[in-house]
Amino acid sequence: MSDSRSDASYFKEVVTEIEAEAQRRASSGEYPRALLRSLDEEFRRWIPDASLENGVEDTIRGIETAAYVDPAVPVDSKTPVGRCIKWVVRRLTYFYHRHVTQQITALGIHVTRPLRLLDASLKSVNRRLAALEDRLDVGTVARSELIAGIADISSTEQFGDALCEHLESVSGRVLVGDVLDVQLLRSLRNRGVDVYGVASTDTQVQEMVDVRQEDLFDHLGDLKNESLAGFVLCGIPDRGSINEQLRVLRLLLLRSKPGAAIAVIVINPNTWATQLGPVATDLLHGRPMHAETWSYLLAREGALEITITESSDSSCFLIAATLP
Amino acid sequence: MTSVHQLVPTISPRDAVGNHTLALREVIRDLGYDSEIFSMFRHPDLMSETHYIDRLPADADAVIYQLSIGSPVAERWARHPALKIANYHNITPISLVGKWDGLLAAEVQLGRDQMARYAKVCDHAICDSDFNKSELDELGYASTTTIPVLFDLSQASPDKSTLTNLKRKRRGTQVLFVGRVAPNKAHHDLIAAVRTLRELHDNDAHLHFVGTDGPPGYRKVVETIITHAGMRDHVTFHGSVSQEQLVAHYLSADVFCCLSDHEGFCVPVIEAMHHGLPVVAFDSTAVGETIGDGGLLLSGKNPLIVASALHRIDTDSNLVQRLRDAGRQRANAFDRIVIQDRFSQHISTLLESP
Repeated sequence: MSDSRSDASYFKEVVTEIEAEAQRRASSGEYPRALLRSLDEEFRRWIPDASLENGVEDTIRGIETAAYVDPAVPVDSKTPVGRCIKWVVRRLTYFYHRHVTQQITALGIHVTRPLRLLDASLKSVNRRLAALEDRLDVGTVARSELIAGIADISSTEQFGDALCEHLESVSGRVLVGDVLDVQLLRSLRNRGVDVYGVASTDTQVQEMVDVRQEDLFDHLGDLKNESLAGFVLCGIPDRGSINEQLRVLRLLLLRSKPGAAIAVIVINPNTWATQLGPVATDLLHGRPMHAETWSYLLAREGALEITITESSDSSCFLIAATLP
Repeated sequence: MTSVHQLVPTISPRDAVGNHTLALREVIRDLGYDSEIFSMFRHPDLMSETHYIDRLPADADAVIYQLSIGSPVAERWARHPALKIANYHNITPISLVGKWDGLLAAEVQLGRDQMARYAKVCDHAICDSDFNKSELDELGYASTTTIPVLFDLSQASPDKSTLTNLKRKRRGTQVLFVGRVAPNKAHHDLIAAVRTLRELHDNDAHLHFVGTDGPPGYRKVVETIITHAGMRDHVTFHGSVSQEQLVAHYLSADVFCCLSDHEGFCVPVIEAMHHGLPVVAFDSTAVGETIGDGGLLLSGKNPLIVASALHRIDTDSNLVQRLRDAGRQRANAFDRIVIQDRFSQHISTLLESP
């Protein structure tokens, strides 16, 4: 017979050991984080878009189906006589049943009409809500007006050499987005890196440089998992909300191959606050994250060889790493 | 003769609440009271021994309402002049079902609304678990108590062909979960955990799901995740099975793993412990108190931790033996006779009190 109290403490000890073992494996890079992240992403992607959207549709269809009432009463019976009697009764009362059932069917149709209107209205609200979810702090327009106060958003120029060195040995496509430094693209291309850029803002496209003019989130949404050998993230870390910054990192990691060389360029939060002034700093509570925070996020994903390089004028940082 | 009747929205013989209602009727009859079951939707197999809701006598002395979903049936109970007892089995929160099944979402929302409204009219509530009791206490129910659901810990013999088949195919760790394929049961988390187990420790690990399908949308997502995770050959959905087949599953698996986000009780966990199957579970809602000291309770369900726990069970025979013994001992606490006695005493006390 087992002793409940000693079992309880033994099982608790075992759980503590299990958690420690899991922690050790996570820190040693054995954890298949990329795979689990992609499973999580898969789950998020396939959750119905808006609450009740499909359910309301199905429910209305169910009501419409149920609203049709068949006036032909079944005449099955255990005996032929019983069947005959039921058949006669059905014939005699058919006019009555048909009259009643037609009214019930009409009622059902009338009931579903306003439900369909409500459904359409709900879907519209849900779509708008979904679009707003990633912009919980302030609206896009207000954000871009306020963010325009920054004179110098961090530039890849200062880190050109370091980036070339970090990326030149990768084999496969390397994405640079979403603020574009054509010079960086050209330098990388000249060093044999299969590089392309994505920028949502108007960018003068130079010859021999592959630049896609589209929203980085849309672009990443269309890419296949593990299709990038590396990436340089810039722009969004300077002006995106916290949600947008975390979301873009999540998508980039999902789309990157194991061993990918990755880099994030982010403005120094102090420079950002100084340039924007107190009003915008207060209103834009989704501020740039510190280089240490990016480093922490990458370490959490199991990234290796994480380095932080400060620009000569201390206005921005380069965080470079390699995925496990 | 004193009459204690039960009201239930739907009654079906292969359903936990249905079986509990039928069992409770026998307990009440054994006390010498008149007891019948009234329901709006009755399974064809139960037509002769149950009654349509309209037949509920207005002069009943007590009416027990089996509360597990929203239903217009509840209004009849709430308006009845008899002593009103609610038997609460929990209602899944709308946040866990709303996105998947609109009709079910409407029913659970109605259920939660009714539950809140009836705090003032309900004379006494019997809850499956302390977790369920705490929900009613928060709503202001004046008198509540906890008595687990009545169910038979199956003494059925395992289905031989199922057992042979499962044993013939087995290679790595066989992980079992029993429950409806529904979002609150978190099948997707189990897949992630077993995928991690395969990646790190045991490439032959296999996940078995037993239970009927819930919202079709959720099953579709789970299937997509299985494909995406490369688990097509490592996950089996067995659907609804007979009692004998279920016992075969409990006997052939290596570990029962439950990562549900919401359970008002969790009968399969007790069945697993009864059959000597080690249990690993995420400590949420009523799962922890149901397992008690009979299994490994994890405070989170990070796939790495769950996988490590499953692997530990696969490799530590001493732990397995202690889990088997502790699980069996814990399952004894839910023995049908013990729970029947508690119901008998409680109902007698309620009817005798002025």
